[in-house]
Amino acid sequence: MTGVDETELAARAAEGSEEAFGELVAIHAPMARRVAYTILEDQEDADDAAQDGFLSAWQAIGRYDARRAFRPWLMQIVVNAARDLRRRRRVRAAEPLDHVAAAARDNPAGEVGALDLGEKLRAALATLPERQRLAVVLFDAEGYPQAEIAKMLGIPEGTVKSDVFHGRRALRKVLESVKEEWDE
Amino acid sequence: MSDLSPLDAVADPKLGRVLRMALDRPHDGAFVARVRARLVRADRGWDEVLAGWFWQGLAAASLVAAFAAGWAVMSTGATAGEVQESMAVQLLDGQSPGSDLLLTSLAGNR
Repeated sequence: MTGVDETELAARAAEGSEEAFGELVAIHAPMARRVAYTILEDQEDADDAAQDGFLSAWQAIGRYDARRAFRPWLMQIVVNAARDLRRRRRVRAAEPLDHVAAAARDNPAGEVGALDLGEKLRAALATLPERQRLAVVLFDAEGYPQAEIAKMLGIPEGTVKSDVFHGRRALRKVLESVKEEWDE
Repeated sequence: MSDLSPLDAVADPKLGRVLRMALDRPHDGAFVARVRARLVRADRGWDEVLAGWFWQGLAAASLVAAFAAGWAVMSTGATAGEVQESMAVQLLDGQSPGSDLLLTSLAGNR
């Protein structure tokens, strides 16, 4: 899907086309779910937050400025929705965390040894502060420029650079145990 | 993963690939279907729909005004200057419905 197609879809969605917005949902669902999971570390919560984000975007699409890229606009809404959900979850009684994140927090070095590469990475991410997790995922996995991430998270660009650097360093430490898989 | 300095502004494609793999959630199709079903129930308010149409509506109104002016020239034999003067008087007296929007639009085109 090219940027032009996406702009056209967003313009049609802004005129009220549910079908066009549905196509945008299909295009961006994988990324929205990954980003929401990065914040919430729980699959069901991540899907709830990603869904809330899409619905908020649909209700606000009349305010979307078509001269700007759609993807960062949408992703900022998803990040806000995930953070809102996390705040609501904190207010409620504590719920059990996703087992990988919980294991990593309890014993990062020991527990990750028995897990596969994907689980090790999730466990490694779970040891990082939320802002570092988001910075690394948005920059390395989702391809956002650091300036865009800074706007999205409401922090200076220098802080994003620093978060990416420290996040990568922490990931590398935890992943040293699977170096051969990493180098493949 | 490549060695990186704190000031590095280049994404690491290898790290990005494995991170996406680790964070990808199953059943994207089911998720999309669920959101699409909710879109119907989460209809946008009339103000949001109108906001989406505002600029297109304004452009259409400007076009209609231009056509009306052209038609007036052709049918009455008036000169373009006379028609412009007549339109300007009507717009500036503020009595014609939508005259403020048309003025804004015309000023924006300059």
